[in-house]
Amino acid sequence: MTAITIEGVARSFGVLRAVDDVSIAIRDKEFFTLLGPSGCGKTTLLRMVAGFCELDRGRILFDGERIDTLPPHGRNTGMVFQSYAVFPHLTVADNVAYGLRARRIAAVEVDRRIDHALKLVQLENFRPRWPHQLSGGQLQRVAIARAIVIEPRVLLLDEPLSNLDAKLRVEMRTEIRRLQKTLGITVIYVTHDQEEALAISDRIAVMRSGRIEQVGEPRAIYEQPATAFVAEFVGTSNLLRGTIQQRDGEMVDIMVAGVSVRTRAAAGLVGDRVVVSLRPEALSLLAPGEVLRAGWARIVGLLSEVEYLGPVTRFTVQLADGSPLRLMALAPPATAGEVIVAFDPGRAIVLEGSA
Amino acid sequence: MRSGLGRHAFPLGVVAIAVAFLGLFFLYPLLKVFGASLLDAQGTTLTFANYLSVLSNRFFLQGLTNSLTIAAAAAAFAILIGVPFAFVLARLPVGGKPALLALAALPLVLPSFVGAYALVLLFGRAGIVTGMLQSLGIPFESIYGAKGIVLVYALTLYPYVVLPTVAAFKSVDVSVEEAAQNLGASPGRMLRTVTLPLVLPSILAGGLLVFIEALENFGVPFVLAEDKPILAVEAYKLFVGETASNPASAGVLGMLLIACTVAALLIQRGILARRHFATRARGATPLLAVSPPMRRLGAVYCWTVIVAALVPFATVVVVSLLEFRGPVLQYGLSLDNFAQLFQRSYRPLTNTVLLATLAAAGAAIIGVPVAYVVVRHRSRLSALLDVVATSPFAVAGTVLGIGLVLAYSSGFLILTGTWLIMVLAYIVRKLPFSVRSASAILHQIDPSLEEASVNLGVAPLATFLRITVPLMLGGIVGGLVLTFVTVASELSSTVVLYSGPWTTMTVAMFQALEGTSPGVASAAATVLIVFTVLPVALVYRLLRRHELSML
Repeated sequence: MTAITIEGVARSFGVLRAVDDVSIAIRDKEFFTLLGPSGCGKTTLLRMVAGFCELDRGRILFDGERIDTLPPHGRNTGMVFQSYAVFPHLTVADNVAYGLRARRIAAVEVDRRIDHALKLVQLENFRPRWPHQLSGGQLQRVAIARAIVIEPRVLLLDEPLSNLDAKLRVEMRTEIRRLQKTLGITVIYVTHDQEEALAISDRIAVMRSGRIEQVGEPRAIYEQPATAFVAEFVGTSNLLRGTIQQRDGEMVDIMVAGVSVRTRAAAGLVGDRVVVSLRPEALSLLAPGEVLRAGWARIVGLLSEVEYLGPVTRFTVQLADGSPLRLMALAPPATAGEVIVAFDPGRAIVLEGSA
Repeated sequence: MRSGLGRHAFPLGVVAIAVAFLGLFFLYPLLKVFGASLLDAQGTTLTFANYLSVLSNRFFLQGLTNSLTIAAAAAAFAILIGVPFAFVLARLPVGGKPALLALAALPLVLPSFVGAYALVLLFGRAGIVTGMLQSLGIPFESIYGAKGIVLVYALTLYPYVVLPTVAAFKSVDVSVEEAAQNLGASPGRMLRTVTLPLVLPSILAGGLLVFIEALENFGVPFVLAEDKPILAVEAYKLFVGETASNPASAGVLGMLLIACTVAALLIQRGILARRHFATRARGATPLLAVSPPMRRLGAVYCWTVIVAALVPFATVVVVSLLEFRGPVLQYGLSLDNFAQLFQRSYRPLTNTVLLATLAAAGAAIIGVPVAYVVVRHRSRLSALLDVVATSPFAVAGTVLGIGLVLAYSSGFLILTGTWLIMVLAYIVRKLPFSVRSASAILHQIDPSLEEASVNLGVAPLATFLRITVPLMLGGIVGGLVLTFVTVASELSSTVVLYSGPWTTMTVAMFQALEGTSPGVASAAATVLIVFTVLPVALVYRLLRRHELSML
């Protein structure tokens, strides 16, 4: 329905640069997530789109038409608040009807659309109920129904699941994604939960201190993090220091933890100090007597911690220089003491700068 | 780059209206009082002579000392009575707590000078109890003077300490107390070293309210002080003047009163500045398990305090229904006193209802938007607005009344002698309460509710009317009633500002005090009691307890 363009947008609160020169192009019908730790500016950015936070600089456009000069009530965005913000003095039906009545839509039509919206969020029989009679999950659905019933140009969700318990969170996020696809609506979704972001987004923008660190599809964000921050924030990562020893086209040899690792790296010159990211699941322990696969690299260390987590087991291996290496495997280890960690060097990601 | 003015029109408009109102009817009158204190007899040259003459006058110095000692003693006794009361209410398993709390708060809406008058009826020179004691041959010292005044203050103002302290006792994080006990502190030691220090800010806040109220009170010393000088009363006497009005000396006394209040506020700030405890109870603080005798002792204590505080008022009601022949009590039931009271006209009663209604409406119309701006549009301007709008609390009613007369008896706007000047004084005086109670409610309304409404397409002003006001309604109605009630029993600025046709019930009673028959005075007092207790009883469910503490 709507493509969103955010151009050079900035906002400071005192000395804090909450949003610092951010530009993003969100495509029509895209499920776009702003991901980052608390205080990174993601909610401020969302509130700028909704109109609750003024811009110091920059512009925001819907389908090429500037909207940041419009008052918040004239932007036709549907927002779902973290606290739900369901009006406590109105019934479920009146809550959903609120935006429709503000638009002076005929009563019959309002009635039809309430039914339709409540059906979409599976609250058909809740029309006459009062908010205080509803559970957290149900309030959440009312908030979503109220936001989508006005057929907004974009749907804005501000950490909508953070007040729900873990199981319901997973259920609701699937439902939100299904709803977005059914309605074919553009969504901006704010969360600090990386798993949630990876699970439902078309694309993710990882934010830090008011700036965008990386924009990309979930796989790209996870598998090719652009910065050490992204590598650590999205999933867990072992960040190791290394030096480029040789460059051969796209491939480089990097000396990391005493071994030479050959992997892909677009940038970096011979002699540059870099950070190498190794995901725990890319590493495995070599069982006694097991042969190292061809082309794989090996690092020797001391097994220092074992955490049995049920489906998987997490290990920590102490390297010779004292730095810890975290691993994930399906089975508990067969050995103790000195172990050999093996990995496909192609899965080592070279990051510029320091960790 | 955007039409910033449009977006800020609402808060700026509210600030402009509030500042204009308070500037005209609060700051400008105070400036007039200050001016009067600095001008010579001809009103032409600036001089400190007035200050020198007042401060070198034994009588006025004695007045200053009296006012300060009485106010400090009142605060101390209110704390002594109120803190144990609050503790029992918050932490002991005693029955009938809602009733206890309601009855404890009741003296706040009752006119305190009626309590003083009751004391005279009972223990005065011709008092009922005095008479009985004397007929039994037991000598009884007079109730007049400082001890009577302090007694009335302690018994009518102690709820100022009880209400915030109950809330504080209830919000103490129980795990802190458990930690103290876990580390080996006995329950008594825990109370002394952990619980009490945590609730100290609330106790001091309550004590400060008592101090300020006692300092500014006009009616109680008027009834009980006899020839003892009290600042608020002397300022009134100097200004209204039995011989000639002396605005210069009245102005000096007014400034002294303000200075005392400000000093008390600063001392309280100073004490609290070094103790900032933000504890947050995770759940309801549990009641202490105490032995049945302890529990009974607590209940007996609370009921004793309540009875002692309310018996004087009940006495007045009973006395008003008795027959008098001249000043002599006949012990026969009769409505003669009321007939005599209203014999000339019902005007005082209708005036009181009319003026209090107008003042309550006015305070809400200005106070609610001010609270909204203060809570929702945080800026340096709104912080200033908060300070200015709540500062009338620190100014004695007599002083404000004098200022309004000085400012508006001549010149561009003449208001002296009208009903309007009284209503304006009431609105100014009750504005702090109106703002505080409205902002207390607003703090409990999630701002995202308003944002949700705006997001759904409803403009800010319409959102305020459709979402904010309905959610605040219970609190607004409660605030209106409390303002009405406290205006109905207001005396200190009324006595300076009223004119013949605009005599109120409080003035009628004030005048009856000077007559010989206690019958008419007690009838007037009873009417006041009914008109203050009844509205509060009707809307009691709507009131939040903590609001009472801000009256």
